[in-house]
Amino acid sequence: MMYRCSVFAVVLLALSSTQVTAQVYGSNSFEFQLGNLPFEDDRSYSTGYNQTNLYYDSGNISLYGRFEQFITPIEERNYFQLTQKSIQFQDDQFRVRAGNFYETLGRGLLLRSYDIPGSVFEESFERTRYAFFRELEGFAAEYTSDLVEVKALRAQPLFNPLPPNTMPDSLRRPDLVETLQANFYLNDRISAGGILMRNQTIGSDYTNFGALTTDITITDNVQFFGEYAFELEDAFGFESETDAFGLYLGSNFYSGSFGGSLEYKSYNNFRIGSGYNDPPSLIKEHTYPVLNRSTHVLDTGGEYGYQFEVYYNFDDCHALTFNISRAVNNAFLRFEYIEIFLEGLYQLNDQLSVKSFLDYADDELKGEMNRISAGLITDYLFDNGSGIIVDLQFQQFERDEFVQTSGQFEPNTSSNLYSSVSYSFSSDFVVAGVMELSTDPQLTDDPTTFSMVEDETRFWLGTNVLYRANSTNTIELFAGKRRGGPACTSGICYEILDFEGVELRLTTRF
Amino acid sequence: MKFLLPLLIFASGFGYNPEVPNFRLKNLNNRTVAFNSLKGEQFTVIDFWATWCKPCVKSIPKLVEISDEFEDQGVQFIGISIDGPRNLAKVKPFARSLGMTYPILLDVNSEVMAKLSVRAVPTLLIVNADNEIVYVHEGYKAGEETEIREKILKLLSE
Repeated sequence: MMYRCSVFAVVLLALSSTQVTAQVYGSNSFEFQLGNLPFEDDRSYSTGYNQTNLYYDSGNISLYGRFEQFITPIEERNYFQLTQKSIQFQDDQFRVRAGNFYETLGRGLLLRSYDIPGSVFEESFERTRYAFFRELEGFAAEYTSDLVEVKALRAQPLFNPLPPNTMPDSLRRPDLVETLQANFYLNDRISAGGILMRNQTIGSDYTNFGALTTDITITDNVQFFGEYAFELEDAFGFESETDAFGLYLGSNFYSGSFGGSLEYKSYNNFRIGSGYNDPPSLIKEHTYPVLNRSTHVLDTGGEYGYQFEVYYNFDDCHALTFNISRAVNNAFLRFEYIEIFLEGLYQLNDQLSVKSFLDYADDELKGEMNRISAGLITDYLFDNGSGIIVDLQFQQFERDEFVQTSGQFEPNTSSNLYSSVSYSFSSDFVVAGVMELSTDPQLTDDPTTFSMVEDETRFWLGTNVLYRANSTNTIELFAGKRRGGPACTSGICYEILDFEGVELRLTTRF
Repeated sequence: MKFLLPLLIFASGFGYNPEVPNFRLKNLNNRTVAFNSLKGEQFTVIDFWATWCKPCVKSIPKLVEISDEFEDQGVQFIGISIDGPRNLAKVKPFARSLGMTYPILLDVNSEVMAKLSVRAVPTLLIVNADNEIVYVHEGYKAGEETEIREKILKLLSE
């Protein structure tokens, strides 16, 4: 493998030297960890993960390769692989791709792929680290004109819960997808299209799907869009419990500094293949840590609901956002999720700005009721250009917990606290301290002591240092304990493991 | 020794910036457009942002002011939203309510973001007429718009 990768790199370099307009460029990210999960006996498990992305562009042709390497003291976990490779031709109207590529059909009801740049995922069973992406391996062709856009592809989506060193590799791509998509621009305000897709999962027959899409600009500041995707056998059969469909309707609007959106989504029996379709979730995605972790992950087996959001941006840089969302899960039993969120940004003067949020949610599926979250983030800029940010976030919720003494489930109130102080000497040098506390029994319990449930408050304390040496090199250092849990970025949610130790990350563009 | 390669690559990163390829993305009207059809005569400022990014909310009004100031001098601003399908509905009203009148492109799969080695939002790139990246600014805190404005002035005067 090392030989093949070296050949790939040398070929790229050779090509770049023979073409005046050609260039080879890329990025590298190296992460070294010395430490372990908080409850492990081995406290100094050292690992190194490296990812190199190499691009070659010459005229209409582009080549791409991603190399990933993972090194640990345990030989079976180590790997060095060319995990992505592709070739692309593109001109003003055509694009043809072969190898590994990304594609999302419509709004992702039938097919969505993604890359989360910079993310390193650790698989909890094998403790293998790798980049968290879901691409397609195969080929795709598309044609774009003023009147129509047509795409066709035949590819195998990656099943990314399995790491690259999974043997055999075919387990990571259990599905074969063939699609044809056409979108027609009827005039400047209306486009409409359709998708035909068939899926074959290893050991089963083809299943056929279709979708209808539209995008309508009603007035300059009001837009409507919709997508209805369905298994062809069940077309327009909303009533049956077994029918497979996804429906996404939405509208957005703005007037001056006021804007908003209203969305309705309904999914039923709509997990395709190994789950590579990734329809948009029903609720708002938050970046505040206490809310981001508490997210409601979509169950495409049966869920419907709405989301409504409005915001107003004041001239003097104040801003207000209000969001309400409701999701009803009816895959088996009926569970309801409702959330109300209010956020304010206040620019008090040139040096001081404040953010605040208040959130209320009931999550019946997770059993978290009366969940109240609040936060206050203060950002102060000193005269010398340095700055300090103080971030305080609190969350409290009720959940029935098993009590050993009574042998019954009883209501219990849990709370989470997130606090951080970061000082930026300049935009290129930032030092931060982060402390988190939790009384949630699901977190305070030591999983290695099966006979008892620890309920003492658990805390995490860590330090982060960020230094941008120049526009191409960045150094990040973490030391201490870091809380894991669910994390969501761009609608993609995954589980991050806790960590205790030292972590160094070097990022380079070249 | 095992980590020699990444360390060598890290060292090689000093002082080299690639050209921006002629990528194609959809705009807010669901039309596919190419970077070269939008870029400025002198410089193009590409701002990667997202609706969920709080520093972006603070930086965008400042960038709009800078865009207005330099639009007659061959400097074109382009906003690239990295919102996924989950947040796409919010992009247009969000952009318009913040006064963004320059072109907005949608990098739904974070493909262009990855290709340009952008790892966080907001990240701002200044690209010259030959498509070379001549300036990169990651993150935003109050007052940094002055640094960006001065950089554009300096580049225009060279």
